[in-house]
Amino acid sequence: MRKQFRDTVMDLAAYDDKIVLIFGDVSVYLFNDFKAKYPDRFYNIGICENALISIGAGLSFLGFFPFVHTITPFITERSLEQIKIDLCYNRFGANIVSCGASFDYAWDGATHHCYTDLAILRLLPDIEVIQPGSKKELDTLLRSQYNNGKATYFRLSDYPHNIDIPAKFGKGVILKDSGSKLTVMTAGPILGNVMEACRNLPVNLVYFHTIKPIDRELIERFRHTEIMVIHDAFGLYEAVCEVPNLSVSYYGLPDKFCSWYGTLVDIRKKIGLDIESIKENIEQRIKNR
Amino acid sequence: MNKWCKEIRKQILDISRKSGHGHIPSCFSVVEIVYAIYGTIKHNPKLPSWQERDIFILSKGHASLAHYCVLAKFGYFDLKKVYSFGGFMSDFGCHADRFKVSGVEASTGSLGHGIGLAVGIALGLKIQKSERRVYVVIGDGESNEGSVWEAIMVATSLKLNNLTIIYDNNMSHSRGLQIVNPAEKFAAFGCEIREADGHDIDILKSEILRKANAVIAIIAHTKKGFGCNTFVSSPYEWHRKSPNEKEFEQLMKELDEEAI
Repeated sequence: MRKQFRDTVMDLAAYDDKIVLIFGDVSVYLFNDFKAKYPDRFYNIGICENALISIGAGLSFLGFFPFVHTITPFITERSLEQIKIDLCYNRFGANIVSCGASFDYAWDGATHHCYTDLAILRLLPDIEVIQPGSKKELDTLLRSQYNNGKATYFRLSDYPHNIDIPAKFGKGVILKDSGSKLTVMTAGPILGNVMEACRNLPVNLVYFHTIKPIDRELIERFRHTEIMVIHDAFGLYEAVCEVPNLSVSYYGLPDKFCSWYGTLVDIRKKIGLDIESIKENIEQRIKNR
Repeated sequence: MNKWCKEIRKQILDISRKSGHGHIPSCFSVVEIVYAIYGTIKHNPKLPSWQERDIFILSKGHASLAHYCVLAKFGYFDLKKVYSFGGFMSDFGCHADRFKVSGVEASTGSLGHGIGLAVGIALGLKIQKSERRVYVVIGDGESNEGSVWEAIMVATSLKLNNLTIIYDNNMSHSRGLQIVNPAEKFAAFGCEIREADGHDIDILKSEILRKANAVIAIIAHTKKGFGCNTFVSSPYEWHRKSPNEKEFEQLMKELDEEAI
């Protein structure tokens, strides 16, 4: 997905000279061509995430469309106040592009995991929060949102799904409507596992790539069903719960650090977000209804 | 003391007395600095969004009352409006809101933000190949924040010689984490250093006008509460306090006596 990020930005930069990239010493090699082509619009400012956001805000002040980019926990959790004040409160919009969440850097341990980003950012006023699940979704949503002057968060993944889904900002997608009394809702790359788990189960399946604003209208359509949010992060469940008086439960992360190293597949299996575990959990839910 | 700066201090005292708000000693340390900046940089009170203006950011946002009074003095708005300071629905909060106050370029308050923003603007002006400059006032206490030094490192690394940092060395830091010899530290980070009496308008103006091949850091030596002995002798007691009638009279008298 990072390559898609590069390709889309490269393409956009060809006809939009307001695009400026500020990187926090990540993905720099990948953008060598961009740097060579636009040397005054690419800056690797090093490992200083607070400055990364504030400098992006300063560029926005002058009407640029900045992309600030580094690893998820550092650009979101560490720099939350810069995002809150410099981007949102001041309305100096910028594109915040992160990589590594939730467990793309599984082997690096809990310091590099991040699953709160979507949840904490969606609480801020004047921000858009996007978790593209596929390269196509990233490409489409980046093109539609990057120059709207707002703070927009894009959470990249090195392990996208490859399911072809329409991507329109703010709109969820019904992937399966079985008329079931149980609706599974999910977002981002974990859809790959969730969709496979749901394949032969009598459930509805709804997918989101935009966490804020959440598609409340779509959620309302399933209000008569029991909703089960399956997600490898926080944020979607809370967004769904914004719609009042639903019956919603969450299946995903435990209330503990996932300090087992290994791979993304290992971590997902350990916390029950592999295909089999998801399927078993949904089946259990159906059985208990 | 410059007569206009004395007048501005009296306004600050009066507004603080009537509103019950104000970081008066912090405001008093930057009156000459902010006044000198607006007396020097390119700006237009009749057209605050003028595309050729220089940019000023008050990173130590709690000195907003001094900023408001200087802006009023330069004709951005009527001083009478500032008397609503800190009140419900007032445009003039204890930390400025850029959408509410003409001439305020950025909403600041939480320390260590304004300087990063200033660095971003300076970088953007370089990309635009503009001759405009950016000025940012930071506090010495504020400079306890790591984000300040992140921003300075980036600014010097990018050789942003269109950026002037004015460091209000009013010894706010002395109670907590001390910043010993700030000039040495800014120099070590790659800034070109100027040291100045932060209460001398003429010296400040000449330093603000000077250009360099590097990021400029003006170490402005100031006194917290400059102008009133009561404040200078007890700045922490007065950090957030506003004067009652009796105190107000005494403070106005001290200002007129110019004992400090």
